[in-house]
Amino acid sequence: MDKVTNILMAGVGGQGVILASEIVSEAMMQAGYDVKKSEVHGMAQRGGSVTTHVRFGKKVYSPLIKDGEVDILFSFELLETMRYLGTLSPDAIVLVNNQKILPPSVTLGKDEYPDTIPGLLSARYPRFELVDALGVAQQAGNAKAVNVAFVGVLSRFFDVAEDIWHKAIAAMLPPKLVDLNLKAFALGREQH
Amino acid sequence: MLQKIKKEAILMGNEAIALGIIENGCNMASSYPGTPASEILSSIAHYRDAYGLKMHVEWSVNEKAAFEVALANSYSGCRSAVSMKQVGLNVALDSLMSSAYTGVVGGFLLVSADDPGPHSSQTEQDSRFIAMLAKIPVLDPCSPREAHDFIATAYELSEKYEIPVLLRPTTRVCHARQNVASGKLLKNKRKAMFSKDPARWAATPKFRLTLHKDLNKKLSLIASEKKLQPFFYKSGTSNQNNCIIASGVAYSYVLDFLTEHHLLDKVALCKVPMPYPLPDSFLKSITTKFHKILVIEETYPVIELQIHDRRNVTGRLSGHVPNAGEITPDIIYPVVNKFLNIHGKPLKQAKAGGQRPSLCAGCPHRATYFSIKKALPKAIYAGDIGCYTLGINLGAVDTCLCMGASINQAAGFFHSFKSTGSEAKPIVASIGDSTFIHSGITALINAVYNGARFILVILDNSTTAMTGNQPTAATGVRADGTSSSGLQLDKLLEGCGVTYIKTIDSYDVQGITSTLKDADTYTRSQNGGIAVIISKHPCLIGSKHKKTITVTVGENCTGCRYCITNFECPALVHENKKVFINPVLCSGCGVCVHVCPVHAIKVQ
Repeated sequence: MDKVTNILMAGVGGQGVILASEIVSEAMMQAGYDVKKSEVHGMAQRGGSVTTHVRFGKKVYSPLIKDGEVDILFSFELLETMRYLGTLSPDAIVLVNNQKILPPSVTLGKDEYPDTIPGLLSARYPRFELVDALGVAQQAGNAKAVNVAFVGVLSRFFDVAEDIWHKAIAAMLPPKLVDLNLKAFALGREQH
Repeated sequence: MLQKIKKEAILMGNEAIALGIIENGCNMASSYPGTPASEILSSIAHYRDAYGLKMHVEWSVNEKAAFEVALANSYSGCRSAVSMKQVGLNVALDSLMSSAYTGVVGGFLLVSADDPGPHSSQTEQDSRFIAMLAKIPVLDPCSPREAHDFIATAYELSEKYEIPVLLRPTTRVCHARQNVASGKLLKNKRKAMFSKDPARWAATPKFRLTLHKDLNKKLSLIASEKKLQPFFYKSGTSNQNNCIIASGVAYSYVLDFLTEHHLLDKVALCKVPMPYPLPDSFLKSITTKFHKILVIEETYPVIELQIHDRRNVTGRLSGHVPNAGEITPDIIYPVVNKFLNIHGKPLKQAKAGGQRPSLCAGCPHRATYFSIKKALPKAIYAGDIGCYTLGINLGAVDTCLCMGASINQAAGFFHSFKSTGSEAKPIVASIGDSTFIHSGITALINAVYNGARFILVILDNSTTAMTGNQPTAATGVRADGTSSSGLQLDKLLEGCGVTYIKTIDSYDVQGITSTLKDADTYTRSQNGGIAVIISKHPCLIGSKHKKTITVTVGENCTGCRYCITNFECPALVHENKKVFINPVLCSGCGVCVHVCPVHAIKVQ
């Protein structure tokens, strides 16, 4: 596969977006790809919008994805999804975790949180999927494993062996959390 | 989990830089944390232990200290690495300027990480210009892998010419990740040896002139170093009329674009690994070889400015590339398209406002700022650099200049109002513990010495939180986890001449509010002076915090949103005309109980 695959991961600080992107990068490297990834730290990490760009293929130069070339939008939060629609390629996969985190403009009463997002997305993107990753994580035993459960859902889109994913998860998490997260991953991978 | 790098691993740029430093026989590394450079030193400490090496690794109290400690190691013939963010280099600039003249014996690697954007900084300044100002060579890596590979080159260059060498990564190199192959481990076998040479190490102005002349000679030789010359990407053809010159991560974006759109035979692509010093021959001849040249670099026009004849040169200086902000693929591609007369599709812009950075739920700083705002609503709030700059969301931060400026500015406001006979206002400076140690101490001595009066609140969360919870000189822990004696803040304050010193838990809203009012009276009293309040509570991210209480909102909540507007805790959610507490986010600090005007928020 010569073409580079571009995944844009989006969410809100604290949702585990960066860890999810580390697991995906590690898995893709173990699967033999050249991988590049970009993230932001510091001030940008304190509860604001968080994005990471993950790119893999035979050879990758740029660590950032250009607007219009995102193959998969992997979004941890409904409203965050809407911010990045302009970055998608025409036949992009839009994978969204069905969770709401209200931005300040909504909690301050200046805006309403739109309830029409899933409808808009499914009308516009044939490859849109809404997933209850939080529910999957709770089923696995801990709501905090929502990111790994969601990676499980994402893993279905790649021809990468399950044991490679397992190794990547084990490499990125403290030993005592590995079993829980493997369970969350497995449950996520079964979702349709 | 100590891990050696086997053969290849996905590394963050900062980890790749740390690995390069470890592999090249460095025995001393120092730093002060700052985004995007922070992870370099912590990764060095990690690899040091994983590889079982003997090395001195330290978090210094500021960048100047870090620079000078490491410099003495290189005076002694050993290899050093000092890392910081770009604005940190301003703090170490005095040392850098002079060290370029004295030079070094053992390799001296300075890493200054730039932050185009800026994502997490007060300026977008370009450290390559500082290299030019100081007259030292600078390497500009385009990826984590190249940053790693440049370390060996930098040390060789530094030792061959006895000169400090700057490595200038940007945020997209520091915080990009990539698979990086490890190199050979060159173990340090050198012993420190300091050869006395007063004409060099303690040069008086007369000798400085000689050193300056020597430095100029070194620079002209470095400019013609074969390994570091600008070079062309091999495309197989040589009849291009146009040329794009690029350095740093911008080179990666351009190469990506030209590869993907099969344009490498239409335009020559020139990469500049060392933007300063550039050989005169290149700067003169490049414009005679091509009809048109486009320079793409971050963040200031360092290469562009050095080209002698710029009549057919475009870039940031000419305005063809935006002269501020990060250069991303979205910025570059239309610029390249236009340069090559290709009509690309205009890009859709889908930018929406929304989430903003905010202090964490349960953050002790929020409680302190709420109290400050409540006790002294009309004060001037001089702020500083750290997580607590986000006190701006609570309306309790009016200024934010640079590290340590809060105290000097509070003093400045005091003297400004007093000397003009203006109506006095309460002045409250707030500064974190790590920032206070970094550059607040001399400011406080100056303020006491010159008779300023204001309230100083030291927000002591016992860590350097914003950059990832590095220890401070007051926490009693060093970069490698060993323990140290630990600075005693109250004794330091006494030594500075402060007599009003109160320490209160940050969550004690009533205690802090009444102390602030008392402190305000003290600053105005006949024998008053500067009042210091240490608002102390550990950062929730760094400490092993356990939720001990549950807070709920009662039926009497009127939905007035006073708590959300004035306290802005992310755990407070307004839905269906009532406020709720998000139990996942809530840390159980209980401070919001004091916030609600109708006492609807209660401990369960």
